[in-house]
Amino acid sequence: MPVLASNGSFLIKPGIGLMVWTLLVFGFTMVLLSKLAFPRISEALERRKRSIEESIDSAERTREEAQKLLAEYRSRLQEARAQSEEIVQHARQTAEAHEREAKESARELAAEAARRAQRDIEVATQRALGELRKEVADLTIMATEKVTRKTLDGTDQKRLVEEALGELDFSGLSSGAANN
Amino acid sequence: MSAAVDSQGAASSAAAGDGSRKFTNKQILLILVGIWLGGVVVLGAIYGIHGTRNTSFEPQNEFKLDTWVNLGIFSINKAVLYLFLAAIATSASMIYIARRMQQRPNKVQAAVEVLYELMRNNITGSAMSEKMAAKWFPFIGALFLFIMFSNLVGYIPLPTNTEHEISVFGLQIPSFSLYAATANLSIPLVLALVVFVSYTFEGVRAKGPIGYLKGLVPGGVTGGMAVAIFFLEVLSNFMRILSLTIRLFANILAGHLIILFMAGALAVILGISALGWFTLPFGILLFAFEVGLVAALQAFIFATLTAIYLGGAVAEDH
Repeated sequence: MPVLASNGSFLIKPGIGLMVWTLLVFGFTMVLLSKLAFPRISEALERRKRSIEESIDSAERTREEAQKLLAEYRSRLQEARAQSEEIVQHARQTAEAHEREAKESARELAAEAARRAQRDIEVATQRALGELRKEVADLTIMATEKVTRKTLDGTDQKRLVEEALGELDFSGLSSGAANN
Repeated sequence: MSAAVDSQGAASSAAAGDGSRKFTNKQILLILVGIWLGGVVVLGAIYGIHGTRNTSFEPQNEFKLDTWVNLGIFSINKAVLYLFLAAIATSASMIYIARRMQQRPNKVQAAVEVLYELMRNNITGSAMSEKMAAKWFPFIGALFLFIMFSNLVGYIPLPTNTEHEISVFGLQIPSFSLYAATANLSIPLVLALVVFVSYTFEGVRAKGPIGYLKGLVPGGVTGGMAVAIFFLEVLSNFMRILSLTIRLFANILAGHLIILFMAGALAVILGISALGWFTLPFGILLFAFEVGLVAALQAFIFATLTAIYLGGAVAEDH
């Protein structure tokens, strides 16, 4: 053995006992690791993998929901904008219609008032003309009676009045009243 | 250069501000290099640069297995202890973390999760079908972790060197040393044998004994060439045991030996004190390299090749 030790050949001489020990110790270690260590590590890694996948899925879902919400809000905003434009348009049309109606109504009222005034003027003119005729007739009769110193009968009076009235021109009065 | 000047300026202004001098990383590095070179010069001047060769110290004996508990061929020795340490470290750490898996992981859990994903998807999942990966992952994952922890435990100095005992308050305890179970040939060898048996079994189960043997010959090769290639492939399959074993064993053993040499063994053998001081930084750098890269890399290579062999054994065409 000392010879073996000194030349170092023991370094490359396998020992059966040590080989058996190695087999036993390694086998035992492998069993321990495969029963108590590897499954737990694998399970933990699998759990983390699932958790990461779930987180990614959840993030994806949240993102999709957010996108959907955004799209919905955008669509609602669009609708609201369209509605508001419609309302404004409607209000404008209504206002314009009201304006038109008001203008129409005012125009009609004015025309009605004008017509009424015209009618009043015409009535007043006719009344004035009637009164004037009567006055002229009376004056004519009176003047004629004074000149002739006789009382005129009905026929004379009628002839005289018609002659006098025929000489008078009332057209200017009636047209001037109509113009006013 | 300007950045260095700026940082120096910032450091000096900071020093002026709080009254305590702060060094930049570059300054610290220069000081350490100065101490190192100064130490070499001082030790060289005091003890000389010529030493007497020490023939009684044999560094390979650091890896010699003394029987601690005699159980015949199952005797307990340093390698068995390191096997148990690796098994306990692997099982305890993984089960502890597995039982405290949180939805929001801390740094340790995050690192274990990365490791798990690496074992499950990159090493196992990429070499075989999903169904087969689910079946073989516990084996490949355990193999990766067991080898990695075994390598890492090997870089913790432990009082296991019973050849050189030290006296602490009159108590004789073994001196501290670095040792790894995987630096012993038997351990990678038995793991490689398990791999060989596993993939051969899986291949035979998938294709039948004749189909598996036929599958060793690439499709389209016939006649005498097929016979030659068949024997080469059979040989190559057995060589896989050796390549898996030696790659792991030699890497870890070489790593430990070179750390041992750089950390003082060379100085002890040659009897030059200054040399020990000179090689120490290289020892520290190599130690960091082994812990930070080689330990995990060798486990990764072993587990990846296992997965590839398993996947290849059931693949339709060779």
